[in-house]
Amino acid sequence: MNLVIGPLLPFVALAWPLLLGLGAAWPAWRERALWVLPAAPLPALLLAIAWPEGSTTAPALLLGTVLVLNAPGRLLLGMVAVIWLAAGIFALGYFRAPRKPAVFAGFWCLTLSGNLGVMLAADVATFYVAFAAVSFAAYWLVVHDGSARALMAGRVYLVLALLGEALLLVGLLLGVAAADSLSIAAVAASLSEAPLALTCLILGFGLKAGMVPLHMWLPLAHPAAPTPASAALSGAIVKAGIIGLIRFLPEDAGLWTTGLILLGLVGAYGGVVAGLLQRNAKAVLAYSTVSQMGLVLAVLGAGLTTEAALYAAHHGFAKAALFLGVGVLAATGRRALPWVLALAALPALSIAGAPLLGGALVKAAIKPGFAGWLEWAVALSATGTALLLARALWLAVRGRADAADARPAPLLWAPWAGLILVALALPWFLLASFSTLTPGYVLGLASLWDATWPLLLAALLAAPFLRLRPRVPALPEGDLVVPLGAAASAAMHTLRRLPEPTGPHLALPGATRGKAVLAALEAALLPWRRGGLLAAALVLALAWSLAG
Amino acid sequence: MTTLLLSLPVALPLLAALLAVAASRQAAGLAMATGFLVLGLSVWLAFEVAAAGPITIALGGWEAPLGIVLRADGLGAGFLVVSAMVMAVVLVAAQPSFEDQGQESRAGFAFWPLALLLFAGLNTAFLSRDLFNLFVALELLTLSAIALVAIEGKAGSVTAALRYMVFALLGSVLFLLGAALAYAAHATLDIGLLAQVELGWPMAAALALMTMGLAIKTALFPFHAWLPPAHAGAPAPASAMLSALVPKASFVILLRLWFDLAPELASPLLLAVLGGLGAVAVIHGSLLAIGQDRLKLIIAYSTVAQLGYLFLVFPLAGGAGGAQPWSAGAWTAASFHAFAHMLAKAAMFLAAGLFLRAVGHDRLEGLRGLARAMPIACFAFGLSAISLMGLPLSGGFTAKYLLLTSAFASGQWGWGLVLVAGGLLAAIYLFRPLNLMFSKEGAAASLTPVPRWEQVLPLLLALAAVLLGLFSAGPFAFLQIGRPGAAAEGLLP
Amino acid sequence: MTAVLPVLILATSLVPALLIFWLPERAWRARAWLNLGGAAVKILLVVFLMVEVANGVTHEARLDLAPGLYLLLRVDALTLLFVSLSAFLWLMTTIYAIAYLGDGPNLSRFFGFFSLCVAATTGLALAGTLITFFIFFELLTLTTWPLVVHKEDAKSVKAGRLYLAYSLPGSAALLVAIIWLESATGPVIFAEPGDLRVLSDASLMAIFALFALGVGVKAALFPLHGWLPEAMAAPAPVSALLHAVAVVKAGAFGIVRLIYDVFGIALTAELGVGLPLALLAAFTILWGSLRALQQTEVKKRLAFSTVSQVSYIILGAALAGPYAVIGGLVHLVHQGLMKITLFFCAGLYDERAGITRIDQLDGIGRRMPMTSICFTIGAMGMIGIPPVAGFVSKFYLGLGGLQAGEPWVVGVLAASALLNAGYFLPMLYRIWFGVAPADAPQADERSLGMLVPAVATAAASLAAGLFAGAAISPLAWASLIAAGYLP
Repeated sequence: MNLVIGPLLPFVALAWPLLLGLGAAWPAWRERALWVLPAAPLPALLLAIAWPEGSTTAPALLLGTVLVLNAPGRLLLGMVAVIWLAAGIFALGYFRAPRKPAVFAGFWCLTLSGNLGVMLAADVATFYVAFAAVSFAAYWLVVHDGSARALMAGRVYLVLALLGEALLLVGLLLGVAAADSLSIAAVAASLSEAPLALTCLILGFGLKAGMVPLHMWLPLAHPAAPTPASAALSGAIVKAGIIGLIRFLPEDAGLWTTGLILLGLVGAYGGVVAGLLQRNAKAVLAYSTVSQMGLVLAVLGAGLTTEAALYAAHHGFAKAALFLGVGVLAATGRRALPWVLALAALPALSIAGAPLLGGALVKAAIKPGFAGWLEWAVALSATGTALLLARALWLAVRGRADAADARPAPLLWAPWAGLILVALALPWFLLASFSTLTPGYVLGLASLWDATWPLLLAALLAAPFLRLRPRVPALPEGDLVVPLGAAASAAMHTLRRLPEPTGPHLALPGATRGKAVLAALEAALLPWRRGGLLAAALVLALAWSLAG
Repeated sequence: MTTLLLSLPVALPLLAALLAVAASRQAAGLAMATGFLVLGLSVWLAFEVAAAGPITIALGGWEAPLGIVLRADGLGAGFLVVSAMVMAVVLVAAQPSFEDQGQESRAGFAFWPLALLLFAGLNTAFLSRDLFNLFVALELLTLSAIALVAIEGKAGSVTAALRYMVFALLGSVLFLLGAALAYAAHATLDIGLLAQVELGWPMAAALALMTMGLAIKTALFPFHAWLPPAHAGAPAPASAMLSALVPKASFVILLRLWFDLAPELASPLLLAVLGGLGAVAVIHGSLLAIGQDRLKLIIAYSTVAQLGYLFLVFPLAGGAGGAQPWSAGAWTAASFHAFAHMLAKAAMFLAAGLFLRAVGHDRLEGLRGLARAMPIACFAFGLSAISLMGLPLSGGFTAKYLLLTSAFASGQWGWGLVLVAGGLLAAIYLFRPLNLMFSKEGAAASLTPVPRWEQVLPLLLALAAVLLGLFSAGPFAFLQIGRPGAAAEGLLP
Repeated sequence: MTAVLPVLILATSLVPALLIFWLPERAWRARAWLNLGGAAVKILLVVFLMVEVANGVTHEARLDLAPGLYLLLRVDALTLLFVSLSAFLWLMTTIYAIAYLGDGPNLSRFFGFFSLCVAATTGLALAGTLITFFIFFELLTLTTWPLVVHKEDAKSVKAGRLYLAYSLPGSAALLVAIIWLESATGPVIFAEPGDLRVLSDASLMAIFALFALGVGVKAALFPLHGWLPEAMAAPAPVSALLHAVAVVKAGAFGIVRLIYDVFGIALTAELGVGLPLALLAAFTILWGSLRALQQTEVKKRLAFSTVSQVSYIILGAALAGPYAVIGGLVHLVHQGLMKITLFFCAGLYDERAGITRIDQLDGIGRRMPMTSICFTIGAMGMIGIPPVAGFVSKFYLGLGGLQAGEPWVVGVLAASALLNAGYFLPMLYRIWFGVAPADAPQADERSLGMLVPAVATAAASLAAGLFAGAAISPLAWASLIAAGYLP
């Protein structure tokens, strides 16, 4: 039996980060372990850019692993590789004296491998394994700095990730049973007849993608992680949920068509509102992710799969650039600030859909999915996005370096600038193949106006705030997590304190009394006269019965 | 040759007993030599029986009804071999206890001849076919047993011995009356001859008398109360003989009476009475054993319970369905049970004797921590416990398995439940001492050392009880030699 | 030739046992060689037999006890699944135990009974008739008891008493069931199932219930599980033996034999006895997890976790669909690998750092990294986090439940996974992120003999999941067995 049937590179792309991660644990390399980070996603990048479509099988691995490279997966695979590459380079400049570099590098690589795996997996078991890898390994990235805040965020993250895994397991089991096949395509095809499986899967993936109300972990975990990890989390890791939905949503999702659109829009607006009330730039960005992912969910609900992938990919690049931007701004002094801020604003504008930037193209691509008031709702969300990202940049600028002439190191700004470039430019090349539109469409006057008015509206709304500077109430990061967490820990506490059943014991009730009765009987049988009488009686009875 | 083979197991111990009185200095050696010699002879005899079938001889050429007839069938020869094994080991084990006391003491002087007389009585009971000879054998056996109980002259054991004597006499009287009645009606006492004639009501009355007499001697409930104090009060090697061997003689006679002599006379009431009393004995003896605080009393009460199982053979015999590949399961099981009990109970009493010597008393508390100090003796105790509980692999298990199968196959579930319950109760009373042996907290600081070879003796017997279960196919086939028809068909048509 | 191998494979642990009893306490080296030699030879034999069984060669040995009552040792695929597991884990546990017990007291007794216990397990796996199964089942009870009370302190002796108080009535029930059955059908031979229909439905149901009761005690099925958590008073290698190699497994194995070889799937379904058993197993899964959540001692938590995990096997067997069978059987192996890893680690924590309570685990990950990594792998497997083996079993069990038309099984699995996470993750959290108190006792893991088995079993549990699709994985073997039982 062949170990691998088909090209080897997909497996190499997954195994390579793992090998590097293990290598990082080697005692001699431990101190310089971070150097493996940029190298880890390279084979995957090669795979995404230059490899023909096709599938590879390894029958001995897991339950028979099948990896497949096709359009939406390839785009997101490339996005994941690029973001992790940029974040990896950034990390080299970001960590001066890293804490436990080997552990960080190891889990970084494991998370990356899982993140790549979900984009490639074509069978349920591999997908589940990769999904679990990206979910659980990312925990170590969240809690890396070991602060109380990070640990708390990590705990919430882990609990919800577990819940997600359980939902996924149930959904996958039901799906596999319905399809009687481990192939994702077959499962997806049978899901329209298995509403419970579909629900579980949507909730499981939605949890990862920040779907309201399961988004709570996101604004906690993303800010808590070190900046390069935040970029990967918000840019790449949340897309594991998106690819899940892309792969598993059936043609006819029934009620969930509406459900996804509604929940998506609630997230899109709720994320804006909650985000505006934050005091930390990274938390605001995280809420922006919730909001943007809400839009993607709505697009998926509307049935535009490839457009959703394109939108998600653009968001990944841009959001990762924004997170890195927070780190770059933090290393920038007053003197270099204008230039850096101008560059940092580009991805923000792009996400808000400013004309001619990549974001405008992807926004145009998803537009055909909505009609009537939905169209307006989607368009208006760009206003919210603009306000939210402006707030984020505002907060980030406040966190700039103290030294006036501080400049970001090349290892910080180069990957950041690269990401910005990709975010702005890539949609121009991909629009035609991922939607029904061509780049020429967005140059039309109508669509330029469509892209511009929400921003103007945002500026109008922001103006009074900038003048009056009212006190806005603060919302705790993770909003719903506060009451829910309290309730959950109370429940857990009660469960642990439930009265324990008493342990088994061996004493027999009434043993002493029984003992006395038996002893009395024994004593009564001791005199020979009684025995003799008994014997005589028995002899008579027996003789009578034997003779008769 | 066969004449010698059959008569020597009876004659040798008698002769040795006389010599032991005469040459009391060599008594211990003489007894041991006799033990092994008889063991060798009975094994030889067993091989002869296996090869040629049952062997019958008439001493001096006088056939029954005039002369003394000895007969070795599978059952008799089997009991002969196992009891000789137990006897040989017990006689070796007794040596340190009675040698050290010197020749002046009554115990040191009397033990060996008494043990040899008991041995002779036992062998006679297994081989004889004549009701009067059997009576004589039982008397010999009982009287030497009673003397052995009282041998140390302690007040408690003398009382126990006296009580034993009263019950034994009662049993003897009943048996003798029965035998006399049989002789008056049929002018013969030979079992073989009696089996061939038409039996009437006098024989029914005779059988009722003899059955009750033998039941009393076998310490069947409710005639058992004398047994625990007597067996527990005797010195350990004597207890081993009393508990393991003595009751088996009367039981074998009971088997012969019903299965060889008069199966056609059996009535449902007889079966119910014997089986029922046996069942009560199992439960009652076990419960009392649980309540005891002295090791030897526990073992003695265990004997009461274990003897009860034997009586289940009466209702269960013949209870094999068509699905079973064997016949006479219950009848064979009774013998197996007796064998296993002989070996295991002797091993247990010998081990208990060693514990008593090491600790100085036989209260249960004294057993603490002995697993570490006397591992071999404890192991022997554990192994014999397994056989007594009827757990696999052991002779006790084979017996229990066969009995249970008979019970279920014939639809007599009640007896089956008694068997199961008895096994569980046995586990309770036997694991109490075992648990203590494994508790190091509160272990006695100093113990009288016991030499290793003495600990090996009970282990040998216990191992034999276990091996009986592992290799039970041979004994099973052996017991079928000369098997009476009723053993397979049951006592009721 | 064909009769030699089954006897030989039994002898590889029986002979060392009988020899070890007679070794003097100080003969450490001889004891180690006897044990390890026996274990190594056994593994070789198992490998050889696997090839033979895959080629369809039958090996059988027979010892007559009485006419119709005989011991029959027979090698089939199910046998080998269990024997290979116990052989591998025996080797690991022996290495571990030699290091763990060091130069403590009563070593010859310990290792003698230890090998005897494995011999009983092997015999039980090889048993070709019901009565042979019972005999070895009982031997297992008896040989485990001295191991449970090995420490000879009050706690151990109490645990030993409890063990017997549960086990002996259990085996009495088992014996009654067997004899009831055999009195009507004659000896039950696994390979040649007889016609049980001579008995009435009610009788068959009662026999099934008694049988399940009897082996359920060993399998720690609710409410017969009380002895298991108490037995954690025994030394860590014994816990490993109880939980992974022999005892609990024997119970689960018995259920598998009961359903597939005694009653057969068809009759089980016809009588409708599978579902109640499956429900009881499901309840045990949840109950064990809940109780584990409440424990504060490491080993006790692990013990309740076993209560829960072993019922997966029973659940799979009772559901009796193709996938469920595979899931149950493969969990027999997977649970063994993962749970033994956890107990090895618990023993290391106890022995090298004096940790017995969960709140003492704080920050131990930094001081005992290898141990803690192994513990983490085991715990992840228990929760069902891939790619550790546990998820494969759960996946198949879930599918099996759906296939058998019992969708609630999936809910039970999900709930159990969450509960497992609920009691394992806090431990992992303490291990890796807790801060060790300043007065924490000295801790190191400089005991190669204890560490190597833990690492090996952890690696095995990882590999069993990662390469589940391989031709020689437990999963493949379980599928082979299942294919033999299903129409």
